[in-house]
Amino acid sequence: MTAVTTRPGLAPRLTALTKIVELGPGRLDQKLLSEASTLLTRAGDRLKLSSEHTVVALAGGTGSGKSSLFNAISGLELSPTGVRRPTTARTHACVWGLEGAAPLLDWLQIQWRHRFARASALDKGESQLHGLILLDLPDHDSIRALTDTEADRLIGLADLVVWVLDPQKYADASTHRRYVADLAGHEAVTVFALNQADRLSTEELAELVIDLNDLLRREGVEHPSVVPTSAVSGRGVDSLKSVISSAVSRRRAAIHKLEADLRRLEQRLSQTMPVGQALSAPASVDEARRLGLTDALCDAVGVPAVGEAMENVYAERSNRWVGWPYPRWLAKFRPDPLKSLRLEDVSDEIRGITTGSVSAQAAEVSNAVQALADGLSVGMHPVWRTAVHRAARSRSSQLPKALTEDLTEVAPELDRVPGWWRLLKIWQYFLVGAFVGGLAWLAVGLTVPGQLPAALQLLGDSAALPWVGLMMASVLGLGALSGIASRNFVVLGASRERERLEREMRRRVAAVSESMVVEPVERELGRHHAFYSAMRGLAG
Amino acid sequence: MDDGRQESPGEQTLSFRAITDESAAPPPTAATEDESAASPPAAAGEEEAPASAGESPGESAEPEASSDESAEPGTSPEEPTEPEASSDESAVPGTLSGESAGLEVSSEESAEPEVLSEESSDGPEASSDVGDAGDAGASDPEEPETWAKLDEPADEEPDVRAELEEPEAPSDEEPAEPAEPAESAELAESAEAAEPDEPAEPAWLRELDEAEARAKLAEQQARAELAKTDKPEQPAGFLTLDEPQARVEPAETDESAEAEPEGSAAAAPEPSAWHFPDPQAERDLDAQAAEAARGEAAEATGTGKPAGGRPPAPRVEPLPPQMVAALTAALNALRESVSDLRFGLDLPGAAEARQARADLLAQLQDYVLPRVRTNTAPALIVIAGSTGAGKSTLVNSLAEKNISRTGVRRPTTGIPVLVCHPDDRQWFTKGDLLGGLRRIDKPSPEAGTGSLVVVATEKLPQGVALLDTPDIDSVVEEHHEIAHRMLDAADLWIFVTTAARYADAPAWNLLRLAKERGARLAIVLSRVQPKAREVVLKHFVRMLTEYGLGEVDRFVIGEAKVVDGRLPDHEMTDLRLWLAELSVDEDRRAQAVHETLNGVLDSFRTRVPALARHLEGQVAFRTELRADVEAAYMSALAEIDKATRNGMLVHGEVLARWQDFAGSGDLMRTIQFRKRGRSSRQAPERVTAFRSALRAGLESLIVAAANRAAEEVVARWRHRSELGGTIGAGLERPSDELVRHATRAIAAWQEHVTELVRTEGVAKRSVSKFVSFDADSLSLIFMVAMFSGGTVEGVPHRLVNALLGAESLRGIGAKALSDLRARIGMLFDEESMRYVQALDSAGIPDESIATRLYQASYNLEVAR
Repeated sequence: MTAVTTRPGLAPRLTALTKIVELGPGRLDQKLLSEASTLLTRAGDRLKLSSEHTVVALAGGTGSGKSSLFNAISGLELSPTGVRRPTTARTHACVWGLEGAAPLLDWLQIQWRHRFARASALDKGESQLHGLILLDLPDHDSIRALTDTEADRLIGLADLVVWVLDPQKYADASTHRRYVADLAGHEAVTVFALNQADRLSTEELAELVIDLNDLLRREGVEHPSVVPTSAVSGRGVDSLKSVISSAVSRRRAAIHKLEADLRRLEQRLSQTMPVGQALSAPASVDEARRLGLTDALCDAVGVPAVGEAMENVYAERSNRWVGWPYPRWLAKFRPDPLKSLRLEDVSDEIRGITTGSVSAQAAEVSNAVQALADGLSVGMHPVWRTAVHRAARSRSSQLPKALTEDLTEVAPELDRVPGWWRLLKIWQYFLVGAFVGGLAWLAVGLTVPGQLPAALQLLGDSAALPWVGLMMASVLGLGALSGIASRNFVVLGASRERERLEREMRRRVAAVSESMVVEPVERELGRHHAFYSAMRGLAG
Repeated sequence: MDDGRQESPGEQTLSFRAITDESAAPPPTAATEDESAASPPAAAGEEEAPASAGESPGESAEPEASSDESAEPGTSPEEPTEPEASSDESAVPGTLSGESAGLEVSSEESAEPEVLSEESSDGPEASSDVGDAGDAGASDPEEPETWAKLDEPADEEPDVRAELEEPEAPSDEEPAEPAEPAESAELAESAEAAEPDEPAEPAWLRELDEAEARAKLAEQQARAELAKTDKPEQPAGFLTLDEPQARVEPAETDESAEAEPEGSAAAAPEPSAWHFPDPQAERDLDAQAAEAARGEAAEATGTGKPAGGRPPAPRVEPLPPQMVAALTAALNALRESVSDLRFGLDLPGAAEARQARADLLAQLQDYVLPRVRTNTAPALIVIAGSTGAGKSTLVNSLAEKNISRTGVRRPTTGIPVLVCHPDDRQWFTKGDLLGGLRRIDKPSPEAGTGSLVVVATEKLPQGVALLDTPDIDSVVEEHHEIAHRMLDAADLWIFVTTAARYADAPAWNLLRLAKERGARLAIVLSRVQPKAREVVLKHFVRMLTEYGLGEVDRFVIGEAKVVDGRLPDHEMTDLRLWLAELSVDEDRRAQAVHETLNGVLDSFRTRVPALARHLEGQVAFRTELRADVEAAYMSALAEIDKATRNGMLVHGEVLARWQDFAGSGDLMRTIQFRKRGRSSRQAPERVTAFRSALRAGLESLIVAAANRAAEEVVARWRHRSELGGTIGAGLERPSDELVRHATRAIAAWQEHVTELVRTEGVAKRSVSKFVSFDADSLSLIFMVAMFSGGTVEGVPHRLVNALLGAESLRGIGAKALSDLRARIGMLFDEESMRYVQALDSAGIPDESIATRLYQASYNLEVAR
């Protein structure tokens, strides 16, 4: 255990794998994911079990001599050998050094009656094999094996696999395609025993070993260790034993095997989801993108248009209150086309339109969200891209409504009439009154100057008349001026109001988008980042 | 074909020679050697005994032999040999009126034994002679080594046998013939019960014949020559022989059948011990034997057949020309259809279907068409099996020439090697058979996979050619393909496996294939260790029997030192004999050829429709994917339609602009009195902004719908299959041009609507007299009226209604909407074209070919 935990590399890589398995569902290929979790479980199990033992499995095709080799190594006739194919159907195990081996054998699911132990007395002179659990596997290539995955399972579990090949079968596709092709990186925990060497002449054997080496190298096993053996003559069995015993005595095979398996898994993982530039993808939504999203959402609500409309409508409406009244009265005398269309009441309705509310357009909202997700997921693996999109859209059905509701609160009341408009209206009417008074004065003074009662003598005073005229002109001028001035004030105020309104609306849009779009997206980006960090961690 | 089936049993019996049946083997026999173990049960022995017993001590010996074999190899071998011989004969020569022949033999034996006893004293020599005789006669020597050993010690008995044979040679069949009638009578009685005997007898006859032939050869060259000349006739004789056997076999009980094999096995060993004479000699021998057989047959058939109550087996007639023509036409049509077949879509199973198509095509061209055209061509025997099983060694040994490279490296053979008699060479170099392969004279590394080495050797009998193939299970996967292609062109399959491999999964896959194809099959189990022989054979035979292949010809080759790429001759005798029989017996060969051809044609019944079904699957898949695209865009269109009707569009900026437009008085200014002129258009920027807001709203609606549609298509495709996901890769977003095209389309539509309003929206007469309107603005109001949908009483509605009248409002509205729909539809068509193009680039399956395939396979059935 201690060796395991202090070993640098394996523990963090397993942690990384845990993370990957955790984040994988829905994103990783199901098969790969289950393999990863299997490996994780296996690693956990194996590291918990005896590190003093090394599980060595003899694997190979039927008739290659696994059982014979098993017996030759153990020195006992433990596993029945025979000429019938296939011979061995259940795995046999032989243990050197019993203490602590039982849980390991249980884990390997070796049946009780197929477990054998080398008594310590027998072990004399074989102390270097102490800690060896030797498995004699069933074959993997016979018709029986089609329905039996025992060999497969144990080849996966064993710490060190000895592939027992023979001159007839050493190039079988069933061995190479299914197993050897995957062995790249497993050199440390794989040995090839070329059995039945006694059937060949020395030259043939040499040729064959070279051929086998070439073949293995072509398949990615860079430094294959090939041991010619003969279970019949006993030749080479000792060198195989010494290969095994060196692995056993180092007590590292289990770790090496897990590392090699991890490496293989990591390669397959990174084939489907290469780390590449993934870690340079944004882990959060940056300020520019947030601004972009807010802008787009504001457009969807029509914030600038709302502002403009407010400005224009104010200007138009203020005219009725603060404008110079005379043109308005004049306009009233102009025939109204609406009247001729019998649509007199329509103008009220039109006024009603302008009291309308602010609302968001769903299509534009969804386009804005889409654009954000697109921008963020550029270069991502399609699976992650989909995930980011899904996260961005997670609440998009509520988004337009939320925006509408939120903004309606601050929507401008277009039919609002400020108090100063009323004051100005009174002022204008006062001026009109003054003008009318002046007019009356003038009329009186000019038409009946002498018949006026004494109290009104002043009116008849012709000297005052020019002044009256002047006053009237200035009243008119004052009205026009104040009309223009107040209109300017209205426009100025409206544009200030518009700015305030737009700021407020933007703020609200940003807040809504933050909670309904950016947050879920950032969570997904975080997962993405964590996943690829774990991938990098797994690669070591 | 019926004939063929009848005959086939005869061959099956042959098969037993090599491997004795376990079930048959009595326990005691097991104790000794495997083969001995195989020794016939008592019943068998008895049966045999009567046959031979009829006449002589030999018979008595036989029964014992059967039992003895187990105990004493020496004695047993001889007797067993006899039965074997019979079986062999039955297999080979076929039909000497089996019974009569057998009877004759027995009589001969009885007569001869004494004579030969001298030879027996000679011991080894005698045995050797016998062996030769056996080989020459092609009497199935199975000759496992063990047997060979047995023979030697047992020399005396073998000698006896040899003697028998030798004397026979002189005595020939004639003596036998006289006996035949009697036998025939017996047969008549026990026709069925005695059947076992009958086969045995023919075997004897054969052996005798061969022995005689040998003797004659030794003595008289002239005779040999005669025999050669006779050859052509021989087949007839053999045929007749075969028939009785054939019929015998069905009648035979299992035991008897087993007994025969055992006997044969026993017999075989002796001959096996001996080296083969020259092929030529063999042939001569055969010829002689044939002659003899004929002689006998002439009489035997006369007598024996009637006795058997069976007419001679009808010869396999060559197909009538019109049938050949019809078949050829049907096959050609099939080939064309198949060659037009394309599986463009990488659906699950497509790779297999492509392979199946290539196989079918290759088989049609390489094998079926040439075979139908000339069904008398030499039989092509393809030797297939695992790497390291010894295929090349087998071919080299049979050809007695190092033709195919052997070695310890696996896989060894990469280029198929065809070996045939020089007379047949023309057929294989020029013929259409395997026409797709380039012929070369010797294997060379640069020769690609499309090559075939053709080698002629006189060591092979005429009429049969051996094809050494690459393995079926090594890492080099091209080899598997070549091997399967060769097997597709085979008239007979020899499947080679070894004691270490006979349970391998690939081996059984091949056997399954052979069974499916109905190909004529022989199995060679090689590299059998003497001490493992019994167990392995028992087990293998049981496996075969369980698999329904228990009746197949089997041969056993012991583990032997391979010298110079060849096996010792004694291991080969059995196979040689089998080949020689095939060579000599044209009918049998034609039978085998026909059966395999029929099997292949039968297999078309399932293979062709399977291809057609896969194609239909592809077509259906494509249709589904297209339907997905259509459905997605249809629903997108419907969505837009809905949005344009229910007022969803009048939101956001459009709404704000509308408020702006209405609230700022522009709305009122749209309508003017005519006299005021229409020049007073104010604030055009607001109209423009409103217009572009409307455009943007519509555009975003389209883009959003297209987005959803694109995603939906890809999601649906991915859901359907992995291939769908692959095809749809990169298409989950709408095209880059969509926005641009949409903008253009909407702008054009707006113009169109304005135009409509201007031209068709003739204002009501009552109104138009004094009111004019700005068409641009009015069209905007009109759009708002249109898009706000249900609220008929809204301002825009009323305005437009008042100005244009309800009727023209409806008319223009309908036109404008349908125009909008058409424009968006075109946009979406463009979009969906991307998917169709992606689909097309993945491959377009042609549906009509499926129909053609069905038609072609139906026509083929009709033609047959």
